[in-house]
Amino acid sequence: MTVYPMARVSTLGMLGKFAAALVAVVVIQGVFSFKFKVFGFFDLPLIFSVYYGFTLGNPVASIVIGSSLGLMQDSLSGAVLGANGLSKTIIGFLAASAGSKFAVDQPVTRLLALFLFTIGDGILVTILGAMVGPALGATYSVALTSWALSATFNAVLGLVLFAYHDRWSHATT
Amino acid sequence: MIRIVAASKKPTWIALGIALVLQTGLISFQARHRIDTSFVRVWILDSLAPLEKLVDRSTYAALYVWERYFALVGTHDENERLRHQVEELRMQLHQNREDMLELQRLRSMLSLSSSDTGKTVVARVIGRDPARSQTITIDKGTVQGVRPDSAVITPAGVVGRVIYSSNFFSIVQLIIDSQSAVGVLLQSTRRQGVVRGTGGLSLDLDYIDDDNDLKQGDTFLSSGLDRIYPKGLPVGVITSVGPRRGLLKMVQVRPSADLGRLEEVICILEHPQNADSDEPAQGSANP
Repeated sequence: MTVYPMARVSTLGMLGKFAAALVAVVVIQGVFSFKFKVFGFFDLPLIFSVYYGFTLGNPVASIVIGSSLGLMQDSLSGAVLGANGLSKTIIGFLAASAGSKFAVDQPVTRLLALFLFTIGDGILVTILGAMVGPALGATYSVALTSWALSATFNAVLGLVLFAYHDRWSHATT
Repeated sequence: MIRIVAASKKPTWIALGIALVLQTGLISFQARHRIDTSFVRVWILDSLAPLEKLVDRSTYAALYVWERYFALVGTHDENERLRHQVEELRMQLHQNREDMLELQRLRSMLSLSSSDTGKTVVARVIGRDPARSQTITIDKGTVQGVRPDSAVITPAGVVGRVIYSSNFFSIVQLIIDSQSAVGVLLQSTRRQGVVRGTGGLSLDLDYIDDDNDLKQGDTFLSSGLDRIYPKGLPVGVITSVGPRRGLLKMVQVRPSADLGRLEEVICILEHPQNADSDEPAQGSANP
């Protein structure tokens, strides 16, 4: 019958902060893509799914984060509901698995992982979209260019954000 | 030790299984249209879009303050008083110009609204697609009468069509989206065709009755046959006519509306069916 109100409050607070951060990521992605055209090539939800997968050391949390981010991303876009959700779920899980087996704190590893995850995300979302809606049509070259650009942009931005977040985490702990 | 490790991995697989089943279920329901899953999208859109609007307004305000004040600090430090005067006048002038431009935009929208496009509502663009398809979010929804398949235009031309509507917000698929198509007719010869989005910045001509007399600079208007866009609105201008590939020449079309700089758009809530409305729909766009 022992109750630890402080511990419960701090857990709830942490969950609340996490939820707010996830919502902020999707909202910022939506608004900034509109304000700054180049931002359309970035995929903040993907970068955050990968980052938390690498650093949290908790695959279940990574799956939940990836799944929620993807579903919110789908809802704010014209994509098939669940396409980004499924893709980000898998990415969160793979990132968490990779994080527990490999040294993912190296910039080169992160760069490569972000690049590959972005390409995988693009392919999976496109396939799922084509399964539900009509096929992509004669625009595969455009899609390939878009994936490659997006993967490069995500890898670079992710690297910067990872480094910044790492430094910030070290400073606060 | 092995058992402990194996037991600790179990929740991961359970969580992964649940998440995958949920997401796959959502996709499957949409594919088979068995259960209407739009409530999930409506709920999340109604929850997130106000935040998106708030961030949009805050960003606008921050950029406004930054561009009109902070970015100017230090550029005229020779004469403090004069600099303040110049800044104030510049801000006032800029504000007046913005007001004038807005007035012009609204006037042109009003004149368009009162023409034969039917019942319309003006909406503000508050966000762009956070995924990679070509969509925008506008601040009008079913409460204002905006429904899926409502045409969205600007005075310059066709923008796209609404694919999802929540109570107060809607998602618009731009005509450059790779899954969008518009029924068109060539302004000069009245030949009918279909232009399709490429996912890039331009449109491709997908079909036309006869492509022999196509030339750069020709304008395509909406034909109205897709029963989404009213007849006679500018859709795009031919930028290049390439060699024949298969049955048709490769024709690139630049959208008439500047889709990269949309601020306000007009949603057509109801438009009168044109005389050709009993023809089969040729260029109906799909999400």
